[in-house]
Amino acid sequence: MIKRVKGLDPQFQDYASKIESEINRGLSTLCILSIINQYGDDGVHGYQISKDLLDRTNEMLVIEEGTLYPILRKLQDEGIIKSEREKEGRKRKYYFMTDYGIKLFNYLSGFYSKLSEAIASLFDVNVHLKQDRYLYCPMCANKIELTNLELRYCDVCGHNIEKELHERGLIK
Amino acid sequence: MSEKVMENSVKEFIKDVKKALPDWLKDKKEHKDILADLEEHIWTKAKELSETGQATQESVHKAISHMGSPESIAKEYKKRGTPKVYITQEMWPLYIRVISIVFAIVIALTILAQVVSAVFEGFNLGEFIAGLVEGIQLGLLFSFTIITIIFVVLSMEGYFPEDFKSKKQLEKEKLAVEHGKPIKPFIKPVGEIIGGGIQIIIGVVFIIQPFPVTLLNPDFLLLLRIFGLFMLAEGTMDMTRGVIGNRQPGTHQVIHIITLFIKAMIIPFIIILMNHPELIPWLQYDNVTDTFINIGMSPEFYDAFRWGMIAIIVIVILTGIEDIYKVFKIEKYRTK
Repeated sequence: MIKRVKGLDPQFQDYASKIESEINRGLSTLCILSIINQYGDDGVHGYQISKDLLDRTNEMLVIEEGTLYPILRKLQDEGIIKSEREKEGRKRKYYFMTDYGIKLFNYLSGFYSKLSEAIASLFDVNVHLKQDRYLYCPMCANKIELTNLELRYCDVCGHNIEKELHERGLIK
Repeated sequence: MSEKVMENSVKEFIKDVKKALPDWLKDKKEHKDILADLEEHIWTKAKELSETGQATQESVHKAISHMGSPESIAKEYKKRGTPKVYITQEMWPLYIRVISIVFAIVIALTILAQVVSAVFEGFNLGEFIAGLVEGIQLGLLFSFTIITIIFVVLSMEGYFPEDFKSKKQLEKEKLAVEHGKPIKPFIKPVGEIIGGGIQIIIGVVFIIQPFPVTLLNPDFLLLLRIFGLFMLAEGTMDMTRGVIGNRQPGTHQVIHIITLFIKAMIIPFIIILMNHPELIPWLQYDNVTDTFINIGMSPEFYDAFRWGMIAIIVIVILTGIEDIYKVFKIEKYRTK
């Protein structure tokens, strides 16, 4: 972002740009995973991911589009996502989450949400988590969707979440 | 005309990316896939950026500029592995293995050089030790620097140890892991038991000396007993490994290290014998007394004898290197 501004003090711009990329690095992976996760079984191709990344973040999270593919390859190598090439037409590669990827994303998404909420006061902003839709595991911050009320344990750390469900009146 | 210019711009960019990609991305199909994805991305973006929905020279240029530089794309591919003191965690075990093997070779070669020098220039314990220390110090420092630089560069390029293995080998290893079996047994127990047994028998013969000893030089007999002790010890180690078989890799490693020390201890005694060829018995039948007499080895065979001893030292050193290699080779079985 800061790179776009012209005529700034080079030392300030360099330092700000460095920290900006450090913040963006982890976040962009998380956002890419979030986009792939949202497309579910339909899958999504690389160009759509980069387009969504810009649109959904109001062009705040800018990554060089060519660098998206090495990130996708790395995620695939680590078994977080999988890909399938179109058999006909433009033969684009579509990306899907693996079961392991979904589990990992839920955890990272929960952790990031709780972290954002926790540090919000440092930046004088408000962050409201959707507590009516999700339960954040008190032990590991894993994001648990409240649609499955049969669930009694966190699928990441195994913590018994009955108490939390009970407090919310979701189980008797 | 304009279409050709656009195509050339895209091709030029793709060519630059191809050039900048790391060497470990050697799989041709993958290389092709990566470049095809990038090309597809540029054309889609160019069409979207154009008002008419058809790519224009300007929109192609814009699309390419959004991609980032070929170097930054390649750099992202190279971001592979977990950083650990300049060498990635993934490359670290290979680095340690390579450095250990090279260190062992450096030490072995220095010992060999000193032995050769002792043969031709006479044996002096002080000079021998000083030469050893100096040679080993320099060799280790030099090899450490070179190997470390190589591994830092490989880590920066995003290499993983598996990038140095063939597809066939990787598939074999994958199958082995899936079946929970070692890739292949790390020792042949029967061979170790037989070899160890033979060494023990020879060692016992050398110690007990069940043959007429009156004709032989007492110093030679003493050296023979010392060699016998070493052979007995080494044979016992080999036999123990044979009995353990393809289990307890940690114990195998300890035994290999003990064997290595035994071999290192033999060398000075071989040098002593090498420098005293007059101790070697040479029996001749004497018709006058009607008995065998020890006339000693003829001086004309001294050089040949020394070369024979050097050959034995080289064999001892090489088998010592093999012991070190086995310690590291067995390491991967410990984690299974």
